[in-house]
Amino acid sequence: MKQPVLQVNNLHKTYGKKGENLFSALNHVSFDMNQGEFVGIMGPSGAGKTTLLNVISTLDKASEGTIQIAGTNITEMKQGQLADFRSKQLGFIFQDFNLLENLTIYENIALPLSLQGVSTKKIKPAVSKVAVKLGIEGILEKYPVTISGGQKQRAAAARALVHEPAMILADEPTGALDSKNANSLMETIAQLNENHDVSIMLVTHDPLSASYCRRIMFIQDGKLYKEIHRDGSRMAFHQEILNVLAEFAAPEME
Amino acid sequence: MLFKLSRASMRKSFKDYLVLLFGLTMSIAIFYMFQTLAQNKVFLESNAMIGSIVFIFHVGTFILAAITIFYIFYATSFMLSMRQKELGMYMMLGAKKHKVTQLMFFETFFIGIISLAAGIVIGIGMSKGIAGLFMWQLDFSGEGFEAFYLSSMITTVIFYVILFFLTSIVNAAKIAGKSVLDLLHADRKQDTVKAKGSWTIVGVLFAILLIGVGYYAMINIAKLMQFGVIIAAITITLGTYLIFISLLPYVVKKLKGIRTLNEKGINSFTLAQLRFRMMNLTRVLGTVAMLVALGLGAMTAGIAFYHNVEKQAGMIYANDLAIHQPSDADKQIIEQLNTEEENFYHYKVDDDGVYFLKNDLIDHPPLFKAFNPESMELPKSERVTEPLSKDKYVLGDMPDEWFSVVNNELNAGYYMFGDREISIVDQENFEKIKGSKEIVVVAKLDDFTAALPQLEKLEAGQLTLAESLTGETPEITGSKYSNYLAFKGIASGTIFMGLFLGIAFLMMMASVLMFKLLSSANADAQRYSMLRKIGVRKSLLAKSIYRELFLLFLFPALVGLVHVIVGMQMFSFIIIEPYTKIWIPVGIFLLIYGVYYILTVQMYKRIVLPKEI
Repeated sequence: MKQPVLQVNNLHKTYGKKGENLFSALNHVSFDMNQGEFVGIMGPSGAGKTTLLNVISTLDKASEGTIQIAGTNITEMKQGQLADFRSKQLGFIFQDFNLLENLTIYENIALPLSLQGVSTKKIKPAVSKVAVKLGIEGILEKYPVTISGGQKQRAAAARALVHEPAMILADEPTGALDSKNANSLMETIAQLNENHDVSIMLVTHDPLSASYCRRIMFIQDGKLYKEIHRDGSRMAFHQEILNVLAEFAAPEME
Repeated sequence: MLFKLSRASMRKSFKDYLVLLFGLTMSIAIFYMFQTLAQNKVFLESNAMIGSIVFIFHVGTFILAAITIFYIFYATSFMLSMRQKELGMYMMLGAKKHKVTQLMFFETFFIGIISLAAGIVIGIGMSKGIAGLFMWQLDFSGEGFEAFYLSSMITTVIFYVILFFLTSIVNAAKIAGKSVLDLLHADRKQDTVKAKGSWTIVGVLFAILLIGVGYYAMINIAKLMQFGVIIAAITITLGTYLIFISLLPYVVKKLKGIRTLNEKGINSFTLAQLRFRMMNLTRVLGTVAMLVALGLGAMTAGIAFYHNVEKQAGMIYANDLAIHQPSDADKQIIEQLNTEEENFYHYKVDDDGVYFLKNDLIDHPPLFKAFNPESMELPKSERVTEPLSKDKYVLGDMPDEWFSVVNNELNAGYYMFGDREISIVDQENFEKIKGSKEIVVVAKLDDFTAALPQLEKLEAGQLTLAESLTGETPEITGSKYSNYLAFKGIASGTIFMGLFLGIAFLMMMASVLMFKLLSSANADAQRYSMLRKIGVRKSLLAKSIYRELFLLFLFPALVGLVHVIVGMQMFSFIIIEPYTKIWIPVGIFLLIYGVYYILTVQMYKRIVLPKEI
């Protein structure tokens, strides 16, 4: 049995002031995620996917409940500690890449290491290694504006990976990519998971991207609605996902 | 239709336009302030100590115009960057290119005209306020100065209308030259930094050559005269911009090239921030350096003239006061003063003459200054050494040193005693003279300017005494204090101009730096929020801001300071020692600049740093 990398316990998140427009974005959610797992979070718009991700990624604070990442309870940490935690234990991939456009790709990837005070001697091999993994070793000296969306997202993935975080959080990484680039990126992410034992949490509403996951949790109206596991081929899993999504739409069809 | 759209979008991003308007308005207001002095010939000529003051203001106008052109082109290019994405969108939706080009032209021009109107109004207000403040402080009537000066207004309007017309054309042309896609993605472009080694060296050498020529011209201003001022104005302005254009990109590139430095902490980001919009940065820093030089220069010159007044007043006096026949009140005042040396000399006065007692003078030989008009050196205080062998001396046949003592240090002259003959007599003769026996107190103070209020009271007493001795009220008593007042009267116009312009230029400097920061704040805010997301501590982000802004503030201040220190040589022909107490204006400047730096950092931090949850 593998160690759990993420333990979410009774997580609750409300927005708004008490008495006025109180809105529960997350409603007592609990789940675990093991080391080396590749988990997908799916659900319709407004289901609470982004809120869940923001809270797990320490960008937002939970109203109730606890979250443990790699054995650390992040719900009790202070701002400065959270920042340090993010920079060491988490890697982010965003839909809009979020690369710093005034830094070269190399500098962008090196940034998390620089921030942790890793020496220059160690930075270079680390960046080269992760660049090779993602197939972007040829564009390291370029600036973000001069490369394609697919390359940008690979660069962002490289930046998320370079400091070997406990977990990668990906928010719609294929959202701004065409299907070819999207598939090739998901292919790479899946390989990272399989060959390098990287724990990944992927938030998406694209069934094709989600089909690369090993397990998918569906949420609706802030609650866990269903959970499915991939046993057979990716094609079959894709079909299974489509079926669940059809269920979401079904009540309105009646 | 398009105009309606553009009006709506201008209203929407009102805050950004406010920043632009503020930057332009300040520039116009200060240009106008400068012109209220520069074009008021009557005021300049009747109040300045420098003969060619009108000419100097012409050169000043030229430098200010050159700086303003750089600044306005930079500021309106911000307008372009703000608008091009939206204009690209209009084109994507089917707007014709010439329409969009037209739109850009009119928008730029419109903003220019609004800020022109606001700038002149604010300029009038500031001229009035600042002039009033300094006139009050300097006790200077400033007759002829007018905050509302029509011809300056006309010049300002013509200059800026032409300038805005040109910048509008440039903005429109830039829009016309770009494709729809270029416009849509314009905000993601960075400046290509051409920092090739060989060109940098040529650029730097040329810049140093230009500045060197300018410095040479300033140091040898006595020989080159007006020609030197023109040379210095042109070469130093060009050289300053050139040094920023050539050297700065190179330095930042080199710094970034040092891997161990660049990859340490957040340095790569801090340096990238500096490099990203290098073209804008070089223009801003060049402008700031020139404004620091002008503002600090004007202030330093003004304060140097101020200190010069005391020096000039003390040129022939070794002692600071000589009080004849002090009243009890006078004695009390003198007792309270901090004196380095104090002597009493007895004399008798009758209707025909004033007779000083020789023994007193020999027993306590007074200090005096041997003034030699041919020597460029300041005369030093010395003690009288010439012997007085005869029984009696009248003024005409006294040894030189004693002549100077009686005339200056004892202040025994026409103003105090009228036509009476002044003489020095020995004890025997002294006893024979019928007349009242009197005393004169001569003292050297440790700080002349600190004692001005007391000296004023003593002077009033001496005036009454002079009146009773001569039968008429003299305008001055011939004392060091009266000399000081006379010089101050002449110099205060020049001091006023220096301080007035100094404040104006430093205000414009502040507004230029402020504009640079605010105009890039939006783009920066995104970058900082991104860094925060990947886990950079807020304190580290703050540190990066402190460092980035420190470098932005440091470079121009250094260059400007060197300009000022060399530039003070220009005044050596009129100010006795132009570098005396130069630390006062420099200190004031550094203090204001430092406070401004801290304030800027705080404000910028509030804008760009993400809010905590």
